[in-house]
Amino acid sequence: MKGHELDLFCVPRHYENDLDKVIIPHGLIMDRTERLARDIIRDMGGHHIVALCVLKGGYKFFADLLDYIKALNQNSDKSVPLTVDFIRVKSYCNDKSTNNVRVIGGDELSSLSGKVSPDIVETGRTMQTLLSLLSECNPKMVKVVSLLVKRTPRSSGYRPDYIGFEVPDAFLVGYALDYNEYFRDLSHICILNDQAKEKYKV
Amino acid sequence: MASYLQIADDEKGHELDLFCVPRHYENDLDKVIIPHGLIMDRTERLARDIIRDMGGHHIVALCVLKGGYKFFADLLDYIKALNQNSDKSVPLTVDFIRVKSYCNDKSTNNVRVIGGDELSSLSGKNVLIVEDIVETGRTMQTLLSLLSECNPKMVKVVSLLVKRTPRSSGYRPDYIGFEVPDAFLVGYALDYNEYFRDLSHICILNDQAKEKYKV
Repeated sequence: MKGHELDLFCVPRHYENDLDKVIIPHGLIMDRTERLARDIIRDMGGHHIVALCVLKGGYKFFADLLDYIKALNQNSDKSVPLTVDFIRVKSYCNDKSTNNVRVIGGDELSSLSGKVSPDIVETGRTMQTLLSLLSECNPKMVKVVSLLVKRTPRSSGYRPDYIGFEVPDAFLVGYALDYNEYFRDLSHICILNDQAKEKYKV
Repeated sequence: MASYLQIADDEKGHELDLFCVPRHYENDLDKVIIPHGLIMDRTERLARDIIRDMGGHHIVALCVLKGGYKFFADLLDYIKALNQNSDKSVPLTVDFIRVKSYCNDKSTNNVRVIGGDELSSLSGKNVLIVEDIVETGRTMQTLLSLLSECNPKMVKVVSLLVKRTPRSSGYRPDYIGFEVPDAFLVGYALDYNEYFRDLSHICILNDQAKEKYKV
């Protein structure tokens, strides 16, 4: 995987020795997100959408995606209600084969007819558990949009309805992805090098 | 004392047709009182003031959901842009809480904080609470006294809007975007029954629209 050299982009100086490559530039993320918004409106628009943000990683992608969705709504003929809500999903592994997921926050789940928006799907198990929880609330339609999906042998095979990018199983930071609360001020998605994994360790 | 951009009670505001306003809202709004670009410019300055006072040390930015998320995202973008140009990398934690108020009788105002990481993790950090609008101020005062028990290094509150209202407790945030009249405002961070999220300017809702979009 080649990616781009850091010095072709604006990367904060204090990260210059921490990153290998830029693999998804910020502008490309925004362009892809703009198209995802259009595809989503095509399938779900015209009816009340509940946009469910999976915190904490999801908020940046959520905010940008919603800006594009709102821009499309601005130019439609009617006003469509757009509810936003926020949930946290905590996973508990009691043993390696179980993956219990707890949903925290959000309004009454019974009020849902929605779209779920995480930043990255890796194994897919969290999303599968969340979806089965939501189906008990009888939404009209549930769709999942994920900015990134990782190619990993640990994947359960689950694929979101809308995918921004499919990425390698590498250590990624930037845009929505922080590393121990660092790299939030990095707008491109990059690969973290090994020295930096130690340097920013908690 | 925090400085703020004052929108006067007799503020005329701007005619809708001088701006891009979604066509389906044209009969629902009286005036544009704070255009989106002005919100962004003021937010940019708030970010600078905040970094001046709190930068250089681990900041925990606490977003008060749900109304606060739009202003939170824009403010944080400006803060991150400033961090990009500093000499060192400063950790910036984001976290999200919901505040629900319960009024058992008219003189009590109990506030419950839901979500967020362990509040004990705030100890020793610079905490920035981000809110969309402060009206009576009581919610914020209760939240602040809850947070003080966690021994943060510093706690500051930034609110995009502060309403001039007789119901105010007198509480003023540390950073204020705009001080606004006690009118029915929609747009940008402020929805009305989940409508008006697709309106980027802050406007005054007219009376017919209050009925029209009622739940």
